[in-house]
Amino acid sequence: MIKEKNILKRIFISFCGPGKARMLRTSIFCILLSMLFGSLILLLLSKNPLVAYQSLLQGAGVLPKLNYPGKKSQLTGFLNLVDYTTPMIFAALSITIAFKCGLINISVAGTMIFSGILATVLVGYTDLNPVVARSLVVIIGLVSGGLLGGLIGWLKYKFNMNEIVVSIMINYIISYIVSFVINTKFADPISRQSVEIGQNARLNLMNVEMFGLKMNIPLLFPIAIFVVFLIDFLMKKTRFGFELKTVGSNRKASKYAGMNVGKTMIVTMMISGALAGLAGVSYYLGCYGSIQPRVQPSIGFDCIAVSLLGFITPIGCLFASFLVMIFQCGTSYLSSRLGVLREIPSLMTSILLLFSACAFYFQEKADACKIKLLKSRRPKNE
Amino acid sequence: MNSIIGDSVTFALPLFIIAIGGIYCEGSGIVNLASEGFLGMGAFFGGFAFALFAQFLGMSSVANAYLSLLFALCGGAIFSMIYALLSIKFKANQVVSGVVVNMLSTALSAFLASQLNLSIFGQASNKFLLAVFPRFTVKWLVNIPILGAFFDDTYVFVYIILFVAIIMTYVLYKTPFGMNLRACGDNPQAVATTGRDVNSIRFKAIVINGALAGFGGMCFAYSISTNFSSSIYAGYGYLAIAAYIFGNWRIKQTLYACLIFGFSRSIGYVLIQHLGLPSTYSDLVLTLPYIMTLVLLLFFSKSNISPKALGEPYEKSKR
Repeated sequence: MIKEKNILKRIFISFCGPGKARMLRTSIFCILLSMLFGSLILLLLSKNPLVAYQSLLQGAGVLPKLNYPGKKSQLTGFLNLVDYTTPMIFAALSITIAFKCGLINISVAGTMIFSGILATVLVGYTDLNPVVARSLVVIIGLVSGGLLGGLIGWLKYKFNMNEIVVSIMINYIISYIVSFVINTKFADPISRQSVEIGQNARLNLMNVEMFGLKMNIPLLFPIAIFVVFLIDFLMKKTRFGFELKTVGSNRKASKYAGMNVGKTMIVTMMISGALAGLAGVSYYLGCYGSIQPRVQPSIGFDCIAVSLLGFITPIGCLFASFLVMIFQCGTSYLSSRLGVLREIPSLMTSILLLFSACAFYFQEKADACKIKLLKSRRPKNE
Repeated sequence: MNSIIGDSVTFALPLFIIAIGGIYCEGSGIVNLASEGFLGMGAFFGGFAFALFAQFLGMSSVANAYLSLLFALCGGAIFSMIYALLSIKFKANQVVSGVVVNMLSTALSAFLASQLNLSIFGQASNKFLLAVFPRFTVKWLVNIPILGAFFDDTYVFVYIILFVAIIMTYVLYKTPFGMNLRACGDNPQAVATTGRDVNSIRFKAIVINGALAGFGGMCFAYSISTNFSSSIYAGYGYLAIAAYIFGNWRIKQTLYACLIFGFSRSIGYVLIQHLGLPSTYSDLVLTLPYIMTLVLLLFFSKSNISPKALGEPYEKSKR
């Protein structure tokens, strides 16, 4: 085994170079790099980065805090993290499946609001039986998102409309119209958001007393895990998954091979939209229970980069979502404990996503380093 | 009537200058989704410069207002280099890196605004207050019916933008640099065979884009809210993208698109005032430009021709 002399290069190659579990290693490299960057910022503000990262993890319920208020413990913190991660998983999956088909679905934010408001208005304010209401909410999320996604795919296929621009326009149209609807009919005068939905339609069990703790239990999380593996199966083992990837890598070749490109694209966008719809209902009817007018959920855009951090694979998305949400859930504890600004964790998230966008470049570079290394050690008289 | 024209021009022209930046960027073959981030970051730099120099020059100084525009231009240009690095050097997916740069811009400007306010001005605020931008009336043109409204008490930056737009149009269509830039968008390998550096041309295009977007962002900060805050990220960058796609990547048509957006917006506002509707209806007005874009794209998309090499990182060896 040839060893590189330069220690930095050696570390770089061992993280991003060829070999087993390369994607995982490169992801870890990106994470470490961004943590290094974050530490630099924290050091500039003369704060201890180690304490900062520890309190991030503590705030997100991954590590135990020193003391908890009554009826709270690490478990409640962790359940909160799971709760907020659920919509992110759906959203990242939505991006992933569209990405594999060569489409970029920026309409996740708009779709989330759309399915959120539909479910809120149609089911949220009724007092149906909890089981019926919750399943109705999920179905509304799936169908409304699927229809919207299908519409975008259809416009792309039929009218050659740029799907990115259409998605952006749809985001804004939905966001403003929903804001109008909320402000005219469903506004809560105090919170200036939509009136909170009834408990029966809520996708979380709120404030359940168990083991002497008060917890919020996200009901959709097991479904999210199931969907992760379902999409993984769909993409790897089925005929449709193969067609999807082929259309994504070369549209002309797949047409030549006799695949129905338009149908594949539209169906993919429908699945992608349906997943975004699920993200919407789990976000607005799970985590929050009300909708803030005129605000597009940041998850809708973060998920693009999360999907990339997870190397555009469903299982990667699962872990990447958790990682990014740890940053966001730990924010308030971090800022209160160290007295730093609340913006720092979101800054670190975006730096992390910035590096993950360069992941393929890192791999390429590591390959080049390795080849150079091998060449330089070859006997001269060859 | 005059106020409708005045309002729509103040909205349309900053949008136009951002869209010109987008045309430069996409013309060179780089997908431009980062306008939103550039304009926000430009406005941040401008706002910070204004707040900083206001300490010496006073809040109402006219020179300070122009200076802040200049800083916004530079700030946008500097920030756009990150995007250039990602999309040219690192060959990242351009759509993704655009989205990431937008996120970085939102987070970075919010963080820096709070931190700088705290450590330099000693205030717990995430805003930079701005003064009212100077206005100017061209006396001998005001009396022309309808068109005169363009010149009646208009923000000075409107004239600056018109001037810059003319220069940028000339550069893009009449100079060798502009020709090469557009060729990079269609066939970068052909440009490389003439001995020019594709990546350097694309880099310049992105920096121009950042500078213009930063400038436009600062104009929005002056005309819409007279302060810099995170409300600057209201989707104007995306609207500019819609404008130039609707304008088929040509500067002249893009101007029309921007004016249509501006007019539909201000006419909607006036209508609501006229009909005595509650202010919540302004949300519906704000959807007008977007709905119009969608409908118009529906008809024109088939004939839209985007730059051929758009979104592809430049590979020397590719045929």
